[in-house]
This record gives sequence, structure tokens and C-alpha cells, in this order.
Amino acid sequence: MHDIPILSTVHAIATRVGVGFLLLFLFSASLLAQTKMAPAEATALEAKVKKLALTTETITSDFIQYKHLDFLSSDIKSTGKLSYKSPNLVKWEYLTPFEYALIFKEETLYINNEGKKSNMDMGSNKLFEQLNKLITNSIKGDMFDTEEFHISYYEKDHDSEVHFAPKNQKFSDFIKVFHLTFNEKGEVIAVKMVEPSDDYTQIIFSNRMVNTPLSDAVFGH
Amino acid sequence: MRYLVISISVFLLSCGSYPKRHQFELSETTKDYSINPYFSDPAKDYVYKADISIFEKNFSGIFIVKKLGPDIHRVVFTTEMGNKIFDFSFLKNGFKVNYAVPNMNKKILIRILEKDFKALITENPLLKTSFKKNEETILECVIGDSKHYYYSKEQRLYKIVRVARGKEKVEFKFSEIDGNKSTNIQILHKKFDLKILLKAI
Repeated sequence: MHDIPILSTVHAIATRVGVGFLLLFLFSASLLAQTKMAPAEATALEAKVKKLALTTETITSDFIQYKHLDFLSSDIKSTGKLSYKSPNLVKWEYLTPFEYALIFKEETLYINNEGKKSNMDMGSNKLFEQLNKLITNSIKGDMFDTEEFHISYYEKDHDSEVHFAPKNQKFSDFIKVFHLTFNEKGEVIAVKMVEPSDDYTQIIFSNRMVNTPLSDAVFGH
Repeated sequence: MRYLVISISVFLLSCGSYPKRHQFELSETTKDYSINPYFSDPAKDYVYKADISIFEKNFSGIFIVKKLGPDIHRVVFTTEMGNKIFDFSFLKNGFKVNYAVPNMNKKILIRILEKDFKALITENPLLKTSFKKNEETILECVIGDSKHYYYSKEQRLYKIVRVARGKEKVEFKFSEIDGNKSTNIQILHKKFDLKILLKAI
């Protein structure tokens, strides 16, 4: 291998990888997405979730994330806090075992990686805008878009589980299916994102607080 | 004529081999321990927070290594939120890309990462020569077609240097070592701006 072509090629790759990484962050944030459910019940669930989303001004919640890789002895556990303020402020913050936060604010994605801050303009890319919308909708549970997903409904004890399989080939190359678990009130209590390899990321929410006042300072960078 | 001899000597000295230029002394070759023990325990999941900087672009994520058998390792890098960026298998005499996100799936980049991670995880590379310098042991080993020098103090590996044509190409630094675990690892390229910093979590 010669050094000079390596330099230019690696540089070009780095530029593309940058966009790729951002896309993945966005994809992953959209996580905030069993007996078959009867069609009438499915319709009722969808209506309940959408109604709740309309009256949701703020959400704060703790979360535990489990990354399952088939070859590992244990899942990789991390914990953090989610903050949402209508219509589109989202902060997704890991507290253990590392500190890392993503803030979606208007057209910009802000990243705080253990004190190292950076940001990225999303407005220049229509796809980012769409993804941002998807993230916001998934936090509220309102992802019932049959144009974008094959949707199937299941009952699970007192909860409901809805599977959203992306129709878009580019999406489905990353994520085979999102599983969103709703409690009886229609709130999202768990999200599982299954990769094409069947490895998955599972996020369990707890201490969910809805419509408590949330200052914009929470979303400061 | 005398000047010519001196000039040639100086030239040879400056272009000398890596061990000569660093005043390594030959030492008895022994190999009764793991040369690199840091990814050698199949019972352990090795999980690191990774910060990668390449041409002033910074990425971060989770770097995972698992030993699955003698000379078999799985190496995976994901975002903090768990999405896979790449997933490699290192086999005794082979290498397999199980997955790479489309933007990463470039031959030249994969080749760089393959070489780096192979050096990072290989427990017992092919030992060619042993040297010493002061209280340190330096082992000259070969991985693939590249010479690697393993620096140890008190039988504790703290640095690997990949050398080509007598020059340092990549440095692997291990610190905060506890037994067979290195909490901090740095992979530093000398020929271009690529740094991979790993911190055990």
C-alpha cells in the first residue's frame, strides 16, 4: 500500500463516515418505538396512543438500555434519562457507565460526549428532518404510519406490543423491526430494536412523568 | 577514503534497523507467557467506550471484543445507542466482515482496521527475536507481513509498535493495567491522523 493514496482515500471515507454516523444516531434514537390482537382492539389502541400524544406537552423518564449481542456472556447495560418537550425538543442522555447526550433542537443535533461538545446541522438534509420527526413521534408512541411501516399488533399480559417493520430498504438494512410496548394508558414503556442479524437493543422506561413543567434550559448545550 | 568510510558508517547508522537505532541489546528468546494477555480470557466480555478521531472528525461508540476460541475473536463497534457500525471475526488464518454499515464498507478502511485490531487482540504473535534495554524487554514479532515490537516492563506489556522500513507506523499503548486487563488503550497512527482511544466500561 502506498501512503499518499491512503491519505486521500481515508479522508474521503472519513467525510462519508461522518454522515453515516449521524444517520445511525438518528436511526437509533428512533428506537423509542405477544398473541395477535383483534383488528378492533388494534384500532382502539392506535386511537388511544394518538389521543394521548396530542395532550402530551412534556415527558421525562429514566431508562435502562440492554444491548444484546448473541456471542456475549451478558448484555451491555447502560442507564440514562429522556426529556421531551412539545413540539420537537428531545434530549437523550446516558449517565452510566459513561456520560453522553444527544439533543435534538430545531434543525440542529447537539452531541455532548463526556464534556466534548459538537453539533450538526440537520436542516441541510431533508432525510434528517424526516428522521427527527420519526424520533419525536416514536417517543410519544405515535408511529402508526402504514406508508413507512408494516405494522402488527399483539397482546402481552395487560400490555400491548406493536411491531413496526420499516418498508424502506435503507431503513430495513439497519433495523429489521421496532417493537414498542404500551401500557394500559397507551404510554410507551419499552422499545426493542431488532437488527437483521437478530441482535437487538432493548430500552425499558421507568419513572415516567408526563406534563410536568420542563424548562428550556434542560435542552441547553 | 577515510571520509567515505565515515560517511557510509553514519548513513548506515541512521538508516539502521529499528532495534539498532533504539540501542536494543539481543537477549535470550523465551516464550513462557502470553505476549499480549489483554483479550485472552474467553470468559470475559471486553467492553470499551471508544473515541475515534480521523482527520479532525470525531466519532464515539462502544467497542466490544470477545474471545470465542483459540485464535478466534469477535470484534464489534456500535453507537452508544447500540447500532452496529462494524462486526468482524478474526480467525486463526482468516478474517471475516460479518457486517459493516455501507459508509464504512470500504476496502481500504476495513484493511486498516483489520490490521490494527489483529495486532490489538493477538495473544501470541510469531516471536522472532528478543531484546532488552535497561529494565525493559522488547520482543520482535511478526503479524501478517509486518514487524511489531512488544515493550514490557516487569513482564507487563505497555506498548506495541508496528514498524515498516525501520519507521514507526502505529503505536498501541496500554495503561491502567490490572492483572490481565488494560483499562486504557490508545491506537495512534503516525502516518496519518487516526487515533482510537478505548476506555473500559
